[in-house]
Amino acid sequence: MSADPQAACELPPNVGQDRPPILELRNVSKRFPGVLANDDVSASVAPGEVLALLGENGAGKSTLMNVAYGLLSASAGEIVVDGNSVQIRAPRDAIRLGIGMVHQHFMLVEPLTVTENIVLGMEPTNSWGLIDRAVARKRVVEISAKYGLKVDPDSRVMDLSVGMQQRVEILKALYRDARILILDEPTAVLTPQEVHELFQIVRELVSQGLAVVIITHKLDEVMAFADRILVMRAGRVVGETTPEECSEQSLARMMVGRDVVLKIDKGPAKIGEVVLDVSDLVVLDDRKLPALKGVSFAVHGGEVLGIAGVSGNGQRELVEAITGLRRPSGGTVSLKGRDITHDDARRTIAAGVSHVPEDRHRRGLVLEFDLVENVALGDQRREPFSKHGILNRSALDTEARARIKDYDVRTPNEHVAASNLSGGNQQKLVLARELGRNPELLVASQPTRGLDVGAIEFVHRRIIAERDSGKAVLLVSMELEEVMSLSDRILVMYEGRVVAEFEGGQVTEEELGLFMTGGGRTPTEPSRASEEDTGA
Amino acid sequence: MFSEVVTPELFASAVRLATPIALAAIGGAVCERSGVVNIAMEGLMLISAFAGVAAALLFGNAWIGVFVAVLASVLFSAIHAWASINLRADQVISGTAINILALGVTGFLMETIFGHPGTTDTVKTIKPLMDLPAGGGGVLGTIWQWVDVVFLSYTPLVYVGMFSAVFLTWAMYRTRWGLRLRALGEHPRAADTVGINVLRGRWVAVLISGFMAGLAGANLTLEQVGSFTENMTNGRGFIALAANIFGRWTPGGAYMASLLFGFADALQLKLQLFSDVIKIPPQFFLMLPYILTVIVLAGVVGRAVAPASVGKPYKEKG
Ligand SMILES: Nc1ncnc2c1ncn2[C@@H]1O[C@H](COP(=O)(O)OP(=O)(O)O)[C@@H](O)[C@H]1O
Ligand SMILES: [Mg+2]
Repeated sequence: MSADPQAACELPPNVGQDRPPILELRNVSKRFPGVLANDDVSASVAPGEVLALLGENGAGKSTLMNVAYGLLSASAGEIVVDGNSVQIRAPRDAIRLGIGMVHQHFMLVEPLTVTENIVLGMEPTNSWGLIDRAVARKRVVEISAKYGLKVDPDSRVMDLSVGMQQRVEILKALYRDARILILDEPTAVLTPQEVHELFQIVRELVSQGLAVVIITHKLDEVMAFADRILVMRAGRVVGETTPEECSEQSLARMMVGRDVVLKIDKGPAKIGEVVLDVSDLVVLDDRKLPALKGVSFAVHGGEVLGIAGVSGNGQRELVEAITGLRRPSGGTVSLKGRDITHDDARRTIAAGVSHVPEDRHRRGLVLEFDLVENVALGDQRREPFSKHGILNRSALDTEARARIKDYDVRTPNEHVAASNLSGGNQQKLVLARELGRNPELLVASQPTRGLDVGAIEFVHRRIIAERDSGKAVLLVSMELEEVMSLSDRILVMYEGRVVAEFEGGQVTEEELGLFMTGGGRTPTEPSRASEEDTGA
Repeated sequence: MFSEVVTPELFASAVRLATPIALAAIGGAVCERSGVVNIAMEGLMLISAFAGVAAALLFGNAWIGVFVAVLASVLFSAIHAWASINLRADQVISGTAINILALGVTGFLMETIFGHPGTTDTVKTIKPLMDLPAGGGGVLGTIWQWVDVVFLSYTPLVYVGMFSAVFLTWAMYRTRWGLRLRALGEHPRAADTVGINVLRGRWVAVLISGFMAGLAGANLTLEQVGSFTENMTNGRGFIALAANIFGRWTPGGAYMASLLFGFADALQLKLQLFSDVIKIPPQFFLMLPYILTVIVLAGVVGRAVAPASVGKPYKEKG
């Protein structure tokens, strides 16, 4: 169970275990009001080694590493660096000991430049005590060359892609001479190509003697890149293994504590009539710039149409335009032949469109409302839920209880605030409301974002169940694996346009990734491609 | 009428009227860049305006008055810092409380010290820094008159305002302190994770803002009016807040925006004299600076982007 160095020495020698650990956490416990986030956890990592910290959301992975970085103080336990017991009261102590951390939510000051972000807190100064910008820039260039982390030192961070921002974070740690690098969910926000590049960088770092801890809940990544795997569940370490000794299936079982269906089992699609027809849709974003530049497609009953794309290529505006949350400036949207282009959300719902929004907390639920009220949202005007504008509480309670049971929402009772539920149960509650009203079309945007394997399995099964009952599903997701496993057809969006269309199961993650980042030939626009050919 | 309105005195009066707003707004820019909203500037100016006059009368020296004014304002800004940084109170509520407190305290002390409400006795105001001879006739004389009046005719704190606008802008963008200050207001946790002391940084910024508001109050009573009248700041602290936003949270920008407000004020004073000629009631002109404030705050003048974490209390660790 524990990761004491003796036990570690018995592991295969090729995983860096021949060296003593550089960082050890011994019997760490951390209690938050009402939660024991870490319960007697021990872990260690050695130079030249990649340790994966695997666990569902809420397992306590971030908490453990925040303790190591001094952002949280442990309720009990000991931290040992280079064999010496140390006190880490604040991040500056951790930095001094050579610990660097890239947080799940980046710790970057967006309006500042790359160089300014990297040197912040440890600025080189000249004899006047002023920041020596030339020296700062030179050091940044040196370090990025040394580890192969290309980034423009003078760009403002807000102008960089997420992948680039992550590099800045890694450079920040390296600038502070980190010997231990902790990456908290580093791949959650990256495209497949960026993930690939990140793991190359990590390889480079460990080959130069760094110890790397990667926090994740993605099984395939762990299998591909970890030297050693520590699995956490509900605040405890429940197992330690290596990729050679385990399978994705056995890891999933360790993580969740029961068997999990990882691959969706879906039968062939029984394609029905066109349910949603989007034609030449043009939509402006919040800055009044065109986010959708003429998008056309149709979703049939009995099929899942997946939209793949890097975040910010018009997916949000598309979803909002269909669900009545944003007014299109051109084109049409129709549902079963009825024009709903200019309908607001209320009329769109009445027409038969349900929406699982990407932001559960801000749009999916009213967190302060209890479960009953959240289930009623959107249907509050309908009988029997209300009559003449007065809510029928007992009808609502009955309905809510039935749906909570139906959708397996784990809650003490239906009158707690939605904010008290875990992420997975919140999403089940959203599904209970949106699917419970029996829509013609389900628009699901990032339906499993931030959920763990158990909850993801549930959401996926429900989406497939909708499809199998003949409903149309439009799925927007940044998770390629999700798009690929659920969709019968896949559209790739790039810069406000549909740039590619594939049959489900006939495309690889790499191909999708290429189109998502503006590469690739566009099979949907053969005429233009041939024009270019002849023009050349 | 044009030549009667547009005189060097109009511009000089704009600068003079802008100065208390600018001094406070410059401090406000520093404060908000650190992530703390300071709507207490109105109250801080009022306290210091009163403390300055009281001390100047007591010691018979206007410079001691300036010192005491600044001291009082810094002390009261410490209340704001303590409440909003350490106790993590709502910064708008803390600021409002100080504004109300300032009104009450000055009113109360007025009665206790001077025995009557209204206006205090008068002190001798601080003289202009330079007293240069008037120019002769001719074109050169006219040019000299403009230069003298528009640039060289002011009391010391007016120059302090100009100087601090330049100096603090430079410091904000060129020094380590400035870099860290900007990080605090944008993403305090990022600053914390690289070992910067967030609470201390914000304290310093709030105290600087208190210092500047103190100079603003001192300028108002000890350089301009010579006496204190209840609630004499008359919304200048709030206009300073608007100037800070209009100036995009930079000391230099805040100064320029204050000049605009000062100019509106100077113009309205001048135009009031002509209200008979142009048949517009003087009350209309009185509204000018405030209308300008409303327009600025309503965001007509471009969409200003505030520091991302301004107004949000920061909790160090769990
Ligand atoms: N600052 C906090 N205050 C209270 N509870 C917290 C805090 N941070 C985390 N928790 C709780 O501790 C548990 C572990 O959280 P976390 O370490 O973030 O999990 P993971 O990173 O594995 O997803 C969760 O139940 C979470 O709700
Ligand atoms: Mg986490």
